[in-house]
Amino acid sequence: MKSNNKVMNMKEAVSTFVHDGDCIALGGFVTNRKPYAAVREIIRQGIKDLYLEGGPAGGDVDMLIGAGCVKVYFNSYFANSGFTEVCRRARHAIEQGTILWEDYSLDVQTLLYHAAALGLPYIAVKNMLGSNMIDKWGIAAEVWEKDPKLASRKLMVTSNPFNPDEQVCLLPTPKIDTAIIHVQRASAGGICRIYGNTFVDVDIAMGATNCIVTCEELVSEDVLRKEPWLNQLPELVPDAIVHAPYGAHPAQCTNHYDYDGQFLKMYDQASRTDEEFIKYLTEWIYGTEDNDAYLEKLGVSRLFNLRVKPGYGYVPL
Amino acid sequence: MAQLTNMQMMAVALARQIKDGMTCIIGTGLPLLGATIAKYTTAPNAVLIFESGIIDGNPLEIPTSVSDLRLALGASVLWPQYRYLGFQNNAYKKGKIDLGFLGGAQIDIFGNLNSTSIGDYWHPDSRFPGSGGANGIATNVNTVIIMKHERRRFCEKVDYITSPGWIDGPDGRKRLGLPEVGPQALVTDLGVMGFDKETKRMYLAEYFPGVKIEQIAENTGFEMDLSRAVIAEPPSEEMLDILKKLM
Repeated sequence: MKSNNKVMNMKEAVSTFVHDGDCIALGGFVTNRKPYAAVREIIRQGIKDLYLEGGPAGGDVDMLIGAGCVKVYFNSYFANSGFTEVCRRARHAIEQGTILWEDYSLDVQTLLYHAAALGLPYIAVKNMLGSNMIDKWGIAAEVWEKDPKLASRKLMVTSNPFNPDEQVCLLPTPKIDTAIIHVQRASAGGICRIYGNTFVDVDIAMGATNCIVTCEELVSEDVLRKEPWLNQLPELVPDAIVHAPYGAHPAQCTNHYDYDGQFLKMYDQASRTDEEFIKYLTEWIYGTEDNDAYLEKLGVSRLFNLRVKPGYGYVPL
Repeated sequence: MAQLTNMQMMAVALARQIKDGMTCIIGTGLPLLGATIAKYTTAPNAVLIFESGIIDGNPLEIPTSVSDLRLALGASVLWPQYRYLGFQNNAYKKGKIDLGFLGGAQIDIFGNLNSTSIGDYWHPDSRFPGSGGANGIATNVNTVIIMKHERRRFCEKVDYITSPGWIDGPDGRKRLGLPEVGPQALVTDLGVMGFDKETKRMYLAEYFPGVKIEQIAENTGFEMDLSRAVIAEPPSEEMLDILKKLM
């Protein structure tokens, strides 16, 4: 049965669809349209042992790892490019061995999410052949085999059954429990519109069992049904719609705001040491009850100055 | 001209790799700077494409990442990422992409690149972001590599191959099932290296004004052919102006 109102507050959406030990995937791309408001709520709720599909990750993944929410991280990239070239909390966790991780090429992760969206069991690619992603597995083979959250193995190299001279790398489609994406517009029923790059968002939304959508603007569905060719998701896909203005802050969001360079620089400093990072969490995440409180803390003029300039689509120098 | 730093010269050498009308995949960091310079000087008709799905972007400012809204300005299309990778995967069959630009932390004489970790993979001394789009670029298209020229980065054997170069010689890629494309040039802060057509080994092609060949040898952790090296042309006034505005 289709329910036509999926609006929830962030607390409810996260506590309903993100549990300890779940596999989650996040939308956006390094410093663009990252679902930060939801990430902050996951941290507030102290959710643990996540299996995290990072895709083109940035500070979102870094904060979750730094706050101790993550057990296994599926990586292809982690940087707040231009501000932090290697996200520091994630780097620290890998160097100290406090999380499990596995490395992929971004193209392969992208295709794995696409396969998930299409309901395909595995993919066959040329990528990663000749690299150590093939033979050096972050997660031990016996863990792959035993952990019910994982496929039986990371990958296998074999010959193409239709052309035995050709080698291919086969990888199992990930089983994502919940995808979280941030979009510009959504209706209460769940129609979604993304402006600008869609990255992997539509694929993770469709490939996951559950989907939380956070949005800049909660709009009447008439507005979205007037130009359906501009929409990416029908009501049939999202399970929760959360109104979260500036929900991608400190990342950028097409048609709305640029990244907050000052904040990203501050985060670069704050993520250098355990002590500084705990201060950051205490002040900006545990110390703000919800997205409204977070925005209050940032202040009106700061948010106003981040608004994109028409004709540019960002805040020009 | 004397004030030109090696980093500026590096950006110029990078920009020169992009000829007008070429289609190039550009990675984060210095490639973005080099590509932006090329676009405003010698290669206004170059088509720049990015792993984020931004196709034919026309940036006015140096973008901080390949997904930056600064890059989407004046783009022809914003593809979902899987469309980008499909285009890239077909490129070597169709000849649709001339070059891909990428960087790394370590490189060997065959242009195999490490952007994953230094030391033991499971207990790394230093961990980096990993592949990003680099492995896909190195798999499917001819590449230009950009790195700082330091002995610890130019190794006999890299600690981890993130992005395959020529593997171990002329047959390396074929043996592993990789498309037969590979590294064409390496631009550093000291000069430009090529890869020998027959052996696929790196050699010194150009050194920047003010740099000594011995300095390059000292900063390279393997034996490299230095016999073919010539001094690099200084940049034109026009390129220099743009460079100063952008850097």
